[in-house]
Amino acid sequence: MKNKKGHIALCVLITLFAASCKTVNITRYYHRHQSILDSIELVYTHTYAQKPFSIEFTDRAFDRVSLELVTDTLTYVYEFWVGEDRMMDTLRKFGYDTSAITDLITRMRSVDCTWVNNLDYYTEERKHYLTYISLWPRTFNFPFVNKKYYILTYFQQPQYFDSDGNLLVGRRLRRVRKINTEVFRRINDRVCYTLSDRFR
Amino acid sequence: MIGLAQPAQSQKTHSTQEEALQWLNSAQLPDTSLYWPHVKNHLFLENLRINVTHPVGMYQGTNTNFCGYAALSYLPLNYDPLQYVKFMVSLYVDGQANWRKVKFTPSPEVMLAAGTLHFKGVLDIHPADQMWFLILADRFRSYLNLFHVRFHTGSEDTFWAACNLGKFNRMIKHMMGYKVKAIGSDLLHPGIRDLYAYLQKAVHTGTTFLYVNNTYLHVKNHNKSRFSFPTHFLVLTDIQKQDDVLTIIYWDYGGRTLRQVTTSFLKKILYGVTYIVKDNDEK
Repeated sequence: MKNKKGHIALCVLITLFAASCKTVNITRYYHRHQSILDSIELVYTHTYAQKPFSIEFTDRAFDRVSLELVTDTLTYVYEFWVGEDRMMDTLRKFGYDTSAITDLITRMRSVDCTWVNNLDYYTEERKHYLTYISLWPRTFNFPFVNKKYYILTYFQQPQYFDSDGNLLVGRRLRRVRKINTEVFRRINDRVCYTLSDRFR
Repeated sequence: MIGLAQPAQSQKTHSTQEEALQWLNSAQLPDTSLYWPHVKNHLFLENLRINVTHPVGMYQGTNTNFCGYAALSYLPLNYDPLQYVKFMVSLYVDGQANWRKVKFTPSPEVMLAAGTLHFKGVLDIHPADQMWFLILADRFRSYLNLFHVRFHTGSEDTFWAACNLGKFNRMIKHMMGYKVKAIGSDLLHPGIRDLYAYLQKAVHTGTTFLYVNNTYLHVKNHNKSRFSFPTHFLVLTDIQKQDDVLTIIYWDYGGRTLRQVTTSFLKKILYGVTYIVKDNDEK
C-alpha cells in the first residue's frame, strides 16, 4: 500500500516537472543548430529579395505549410500539405524559385522552425529589415503548458546591446528595443533571441 | 491561382486624390505645432501624402488595438481624401477640428503621445496616423473603455483603444454620416443562414466591414484552446464561392489579402457585419 502511494507521488512529481520544464537554453540550441539556422536565414533572405513571401507551419507534425505570397496588389495566403503538387504549381505560377522554397521547407522541418518572415523596423526615421525565425522545439510541447517559442532575429548589420545583453535601439538611443513587444538578447552581434508565447 | 475582379461598389466619391494633393501642396503649416510637440512637420506632411496616394497602405501598428480606427479610415481615404487632409491639417494647426458635426478636442495626454509611439512598424514614422488613431480612440468611448479612461504610455495596446461593434457603427454614422446596415454583436455570432449570399450582396452594396475573432485568422500560437470573442475589424472587398470554399479578399494591416476559407470557418470567426447602405448626401 505504502509502495503504491510512493509510485503515485513519483508519477505526479514527474508530470509536474515535465509540465514546468519549459525553458531550454536557447543559446545552446542556436549553437547546436547554427549551420542549418544560418543557412535558413541565408536562403530565405536571398529568395525573399527576388519575390517576397513567408512560410509558416500550422501543425505540430510540421506537415501543413502555409505560404504568404506577396505581390504588388495582394498577399495570397494558401495552405498545403508538404510536398503537395498543388504547392509547386502555385509557386511556379507566381514565379517563385520552387527549388529554393522546397529546400527551405525541408530545412525548417529539420529544426522545428515554425515561421520565417522578413520584418521592418525603424531607427531614427530610417527603415531596416530583419529576418524573424520562430522555432517550436518538441521539448516545449507539454500538456497544460502554454506553447513557448524560441525566436531568433537576424539583423543585416551589427547591433548595440547593454551590459546585460539586451538589444538597444541604437548607439545614440540607448533604450531597449522591442520587436513584437518582446525584448531580445544577444547571441552574437547580428543574431538575437527571445522566448515568446507566440511565434509571430 | 485565382484572379478576382474588383467589386462594383455603388458608393459615391466626394473628392479625388488630385484635389486632396493639390490642397495639401498649398497648405501653410508652421514648422512645429504648439499642440502636437512630438509630431514633426515633414513626417506629418509625408504621411498625409502617402495616405492619399496609397490609401490601402495605412497601417495600424504592431500589437495595437487601433484596428477599428484603421478600418474606419478606409472610408475617408478612399471616398473623401480632401476632407481627410483638411481635417488633419486643421487639427495640427489649431489643436482641434470638426469632422462634419463631430468636434474633436483631444486630451493633453493624447497630444503629447502622438509622434512618440515606437516599435510599431511603419507607424513609428507616421505621426499623422498616430494622431488620427489616438484622437478617434480619445473621442469615441464605449463600455470596453470603461476602466481605461485616460491615456497613459502604452495605452494604445490596451482596452483604452479597444473598439466594439456598436462603437464602430456609431463612428461611421456620426462622422461619415452614412446609413449603415449592421448585424451581429460583441458576444454572439450573427444568425446569417446563407453567409455567402449575404456577404456578396453587402460587398456589392457598399464598403463592408467584418468584425472577427483574429486569433483564428492571424494565428499567433498553436494553442488549441482560444478565446471566442471578436478582436479585429477588416474590410471585405470581394468574396467568391466554389463548392464549400470561399475565396475572400480583405483589407487590414496596411494591405489586401486573398485567402481561401470554408464557410464553417468564416461562420466560426465572424461576429459582425457592417456595410454602407446609403450615402448621407444622396437624396
